[in-house]
Amino acid sequence: MITVENLHTYYGNIHAVKGISFEVRKGEITTLIGANGAGKSTIIKTIAGLLHPKVGTILYDGAPIQKLAADQIVRLGIGYVPEGRRVFPVLTVDENLEMGAYHRSDKSGIIEDRDRMYEIFPRLKERSKQLAGSLSGGEQQMLAIARALMSKPQLLLMDEPSLGLAPILVKQVFEIITELNKNGMTILLSEQNARSSLKIAQHGIVMETGKIRFADTAKALQENSIIQQAYLGVG
Amino acid sequence: MNTTSIFIQTLIGGIGIGSLYALIALGYSMVYRSMGLVNFAHGSIYMVGTYLGIIWYTGLVLGLHVSYPVAFIIGVLLNGLLGVLLERIFRPLAKLDLMFMLLGTIGLGFVLDNLAVIIFGAEGFAVRSPLPNAPINIAGILVLPQMLLLICVSALLMVGLQVFLSTTKTGKAMRASAMDHDIASAMGIPVNRMNALTLAIGSGLAAAAGILAAPIVYVNPAMGAAVGLKGFAAAILGGLGSIPGAIAGGLVFGVVEAISAGFISSSYTKGIAFFVVVIVLMLKPSGIVGETVIEKV
Ligand SMILES: Nc1ncnc2c1ncn2[C@@H]1O[C@H](COP(=O)(O)OP(=O)(O)OP(=O)(O)O)[C@@H](O)[C@H]1O
Ligand SMILES: [Mg+2]
Repeated sequence: MITVENLHTYYGNIHAVKGISFEVRKGEITTLIGANGAGKSTIIKTIAGLLHPKVGTILYDGAPIQKLAADQIVRLGIGYVPEGRRVFPVLTVDENLEMGAYHRSDKSGIIEDRDRMYEIFPRLKERSKQLAGSLSGGEQQMLAIARALMSKPQLLLMDEPSLGLAPILVKQVFEIITELNKNGMTILLSEQNARSSLKIAQHGIVMETGKIRFADTAKALQENSIIQQAYLGVG
Repeated sequence: MNTTSIFIQTLIGGIGIGSLYALIALGYSMVYRSMGLVNFAHGSIYMVGTYLGIIWYTGLVLGLHVSYPVAFIIGVLLNGLLGVLLERIFRPLAKLDLMFMLLGTIGLGFVLDNLAVIIFGAEGFAVRSPLPNAPINIAGILVLPQMLLLICVSALLMVGLQVFLSTTKTGKAMRASAMDHDIASAMGIPVNRMNALTLAIGSGLAAAAGILAAPIVYVNPAMGAAVGLKGFAAAILGGLGSIPGAIAGGLVFGVVEAISAGFISSSYTKGIAFFVVVIVLMLKPSGIVGETVIEKV
């Protein structure tokens, strides 16, 4: 579904992603794992169109998209759940969802989808008229996910959705991701929580300082002794 | 006439001129919060907008004399269009340091001022009010009809703006894009177009202010300097970037100016109003309304 080839992304002079190639297969959860500063967010933002690579291509269903702006990428069916949630703080929950569906014009479909989000995330329904900035961290994360789903994506880019959440909420977030995937959503999930993300993913990519260290099936990665020591806290 | 009615009369004058400052302050604040840019050309844009409307009313174009409301609408729309063009000029500026924004926008202001001198001459002219010139007497209080028109139309525009921003999809998208450019564009919102719309609205409101004030003030190419500065002070007073703040700041500035002119000394008017701004900001640096300033991404 997504094929990244020899991707190099810079912040000014800082070479953050150094020649990365990988694939995200349709219907799968692919997880990007790595420590702070490994380059996970940079990759996700480059796919989302918020950053543009200096070198390399990103193919989406075979077509190059690395030159497109973010507002065009979302129209192709790529949704984005940003790191740190970044809901629109002075818009209500309802309005945040409406903004997620900005490019859609099917009014009744949008309302249907909003109601579906409220079924999946009942906490949001209770707070639908509240400003998003007044929600708890967990609720904001749910809102960031629901907002991205409102664009009706085929592929969901999720950047550390469990970051800073209490263990029970982390569990809930991973359950939601699994559920979305079961219903056919392709997901690229960036995580520092390698243990949980490898459990739900089919494929994993392990990054270190802008490069890929390992790329394999999630199962193989879980059994790899180096990864067990460095990322899974075994041994 | 007793002191109370003189006071009320002064107050109404202050609200009138304050509405003018509020409309200008809105332009500064809206553009600041959506682009992170302080547009020091805004005073000149106000002047240009005044001309773009008034010229149709006073017969400066092909001897045409369209009615005042039609000239008003033409001026607001044309200046809005100018705002859309400005977005293209400001887009690269908004990414630069404050120093470049200052130079760029101040420079643009000079260009507009000089263009106006070249096209219309440095001489100004007075504009006949579409309403009777004699003050009307409401329970012993004398008010100019044009002043009432200025207050009422400004109020309508400000209410209209609030309704637009809080209820329409485009209005919400403008607010979302001001809050977080990156995330707004990742949600599919065309951020540049939202900025263009913001500049169009700011410039349109400035034209509205100028055309409404034209029969009270003297129309000339230098008219934007003082009003631009006061509108900016009003925006800061209310909290730069805040829409209710711009309105409150404009009204407070106008009222303070009118009262100090009427009851203290007309030669110190400017000084007193600016002095009040400084005092308020010392007490509350975020301004009267003082919304949390949203970080520019
Ligand atoms: N805006 C920026 N300007 C300059 N350098 C940046 C910027 N954002 C990230 N970097 C650098 O790029 C590298 C990769 O950062 P990135 O945010 O992609 O890491 P990450 O894997 O997402 O880390 P984390 O788990 O902490 O979110 C780091 O060295 C970081 O310091
Ligand atoms: Mg990150």
